[in-house]
Amino acid sequence: MKFLTTNFIQCAVKGCQSSDSSFPLKYEECELVAETQEFKPEFLVHMLEKINWSALVQVARDLGNDNLPTEKPELDPIMEDDVLILKDLHNLLVETNILNGKMICNNCGHIYFIKNSIPNFLLPPHLCN
Amino acid sequence: MLPTPDIKDLDFNVYEPSEDSFLLLDCFEQEIKFLKSYFQQKSPIIIEVGTGSGIVTSFIMSNILPESIFLTTDVNPHAITTCRKTVEYNNSQFSGCFDALQMSLTTGVRKGLVDILVFNPPYVPAEDVPEIPDSERSDTWLDLALLGGSDGMVVTWELLNDLDTTLSEKGIAYILFCARNKPLEVQKIMESRGWKVDVVISRKAGWEVLSILKFYR
Ligand SMILES: C[S@@+](CC[C@H](N)C(=O)[O-])C[C@H]1O[C@@H](n2cnc3c(N)ncnc32)[C@H](O)[C@@H]1O
Ligand SMILES: [Zn+2]
Repeated sequence: MKFLTTNFIQCAVKGCQSSDSSFPLKYEECELVAETQEFKPEFLVHMLEKINWSALVQVARDLGNDNLPTEKPELDPIMEDDVLILKDLHNLLVETNILNGKMICNNCGHIYFIKNSIPNFLLPPHLCN
Repeated sequence: MLPTPDIKDLDFNVYEPSEDSFLLLDCFEQEIKFLKSYFQQKSPIIIEVGTGSGIVTSFIMSNILPESIFLTTDVNPHAITTCRKTVEYNNSQFSGCFDALQMSLTTGVRKGLVDILVFNPPYVPAEDVPEIPDSERSDTWLDLALLGGSDGMVVTWELLNDLDTTLSEKGIAYILFCARNKPLEVQKIMESRGWKVDVVISRKAGWEVLSILKFYR
């Protein structure tokens, strides 16, 4: 599962849907692998628009990366300096994969597992609906 | 006609691409101009619910909106691994983002995120919606691809009732129906809730009439 995807998923329990603490999940014991993918600066810029930056910073910290700025950067794919930052973000968001690990809801404590890159959000019967 | 993705060594637990799958491909081929201009080179977030073999997502990736963020879901773990293989095999040049999630509908997806939702649901009327097997080795996974409970609409209604929180402001949902789902009634109910609903395409397939409805605000 790509690092980027952590920005799009939250706890699947109904009672947690409206809670602010069910997103992002908390990441523990994660095994990361890098997979190269073509770098497209414009795509990154569009992607950044969709991103909840504070959640991204929080998950990066869970995974041992404290280097992100606290505010979402405004980046222009024409500017050389910005392209360097975009390249770093590409590296983190698109090329970093979580192969195995745990995701924990900060609201209800439910643990979801990632195995072979696939996160499992199916709930046991007592947590459905 | 745009090329159809190749599905290799389909697992017998996974829904084989059929008339309904191909109707979705034709639906997106028909929508290509509209979608490209509606999202103007931005990268929409596209989620396919119940992806099965992944044929529909792979097709959209190759032919319709290549620079997008794709997520697929399915309750069936065999479908998730098959979908990943299909994308790997057909979309090795893809430079957007893609992940496959084992999940019911979009229950674990951040709210208000989805720009395009695609769903070919289990739409066959049946007494009940089958329970999710508790073992990967169970031989009943395929039942979940077909049986949709009363009017074949139980799973689809679950998704439609949450559509407002699932979709982004500009979001659009493309959902497949068969005639026994009474799509015109569904359309009326959704319109009464403030949705705009169009029939994009419909076709006779054997003794079944299939149609795809588009829901947007
Ligand atoms: C008719 S098949 C469609 C498969 C594929 N999208 C296609 O068009 O060929 C329905 C799919 O939905 C999945 N499914 C059934 N109930 C689901 C649910 N609650 N959430 C997610 N997927 C579900 C089934 O496992 C199956 O893969
Ligand atoms: Zn929770």
